[in-house]
Amino acid sequence: MSRFHLVSPRRAILFSLILAGAAAVAADLPLKPDSVRFAVIGDNGTGDRPQYEVAEEMEKFHATVKFDFVVMLGDNIYGGASAADMKRKFEDPYKALLDGGVKFYASLGNHDNPNERFYKPFNMGEKRYYSFKRGNAEFFALDSNYMDPMQMDWLTNALKGSTAAWKICFFHHPLYSDGKFHGPDTDLRTRIEPLFEANGVRLVLAGHEHLYERLKPHNGIYYFVLGNSGELRPHNLRASADMAKGFDTDRGFMMMEIAGDQLFFQTISRGGETVDSGEIDRQ
Amino acid sequence: MKAMARDGMLLAALAGAGYAVAGNPPVNADSAIIQDFEKRLADYVQLRKSAEAALPPLKATASPAKITHHQNELARAMRRARGNAKQGDIFTPPAEMEIRRLLRIAMQPADAPKVRQSLRAAEPVQLHLKVGDEYPGHVPLQSTPPTLLENLPKLPPEIEYRITGRDLVLLDTKANLILDIISGAFS
Repeated sequence: MSRFHLVSPRRAILFSLILAGAAAVAADLPLKPDSVRFAVIGDNGTGDRPQYEVAEEMEKFHATVKFDFVVMLGDNIYGGASAADMKRKFEDPYKALLDGGVKFYASLGNHDNPNERFYKPFNMGEKRYYSFKRGNAEFFALDSNYMDPMQMDWLTNALKGSTAAWKICFFHHPLYSDGKFHGPDTDLRTRIEPLFEANGVRLVLAGHEHLYERLKPHNGIYYFVLGNSGELRPHNLRASADMAKGFDTDRGFMMMEIAGDQLFFQTISRGGETVDSGEIDRQ
Repeated sequence: MKAMARDGMLLAALAGAGYAVAGNPPVNADSAIIQDFEKRLADYVQLRKSAEAALPPLKATASPAKITHHQNELARAMRRARGNAKQGDIFTPPAEMEIRRLLRIAMQPADAPKVRQSLRAAEPVQLHLKVGDEYPGHVPLQSTPPTLLENLPKLPPEIEYRITGRDLVLLDTKANLILDIISGAFS
């Protein structure tokens, strides 16, 4: 039986940290020992001031949460992938995290040059799609720009062969979305959702829409859209019974923590406000 | 708005054509036309292997400049190696006809609505490219709906079907180079 509930105030642990010259931050995740902790960003690579401000907020939370890696939901670099672009839109904004040993795992968006797969700091292993493991979780980075039969075969075998307790897929184009600008990719959904359902995928992360949305679970799978870590399309969410939580008035990022059979998430705005949080239990 | 109208026409044309071909068989990998198409692609891949062998190998690197340099040098080498490559060299007239037929099959009524939605959600681009052009870095790559990819002949790794405006193009992603085009595939 799957359950979903918000982190209760009693259980929330408030960690305050005064950084040199920085405001206090509150991280409400359980921060359990030996848990898997990571951040999520999407549609971030603008090189503009808001991207840097989100990155600064991530740094503050990293000081408390100590997340090990960051999952990137595509549109990592807008407008070209020259050395200058990569510096301004990735290396500079996330310098403190990179210097602190945080690893970034990218998936490709429609604004990305497919050759970004050779860019070592994106940890793609020269591949458009790949997987990696952390603790009891396995992450599957997909190329939703080009879901050809070869990738479908790989995904089928990779999911079937995975023994991880948590199977988490991330890619660019959302299967469900209440964004007005793009909406869901229904053809992609028809192809890959049955694979997710048949193989115990519990969490799916996507970007593309420049906003944040948590959908109500579909057949036991939790879908998140996070495409506002650099870009923003204000007031672009339509009212929907399918939406559990939406946020479309500022940029943001997510933090996640997997502790045994529980996954905790916290969505944070550019200003450091927690706009959504909760817990997902493994089925 | 103009782009959306064009996109709408494209989708309507695809969907309309699909009704006319319902029941046609999907791609037949044994057909002489498909075999010839695949042979031309294999020749291209062989040519690219030779061109790439003359360049420093591209491995995962922290230097974006090295990646860009390799991409540009490979594109230059391939343009040189292909000499007077022109539209129709890979998408020969029979292959083009077959691909158009397969696109129409992919848009049969059962699949048309979701493919149409997928195309709309993919951020359509309006772009007119020629054989030998590089795909412009500042323009997003429209995703290709999986149903279309399932119905078209399989391609070698790093060569992709992409949609630009009303055209279907073959893109060498490693060289970022347009290999061939079917103009008005979606009109």
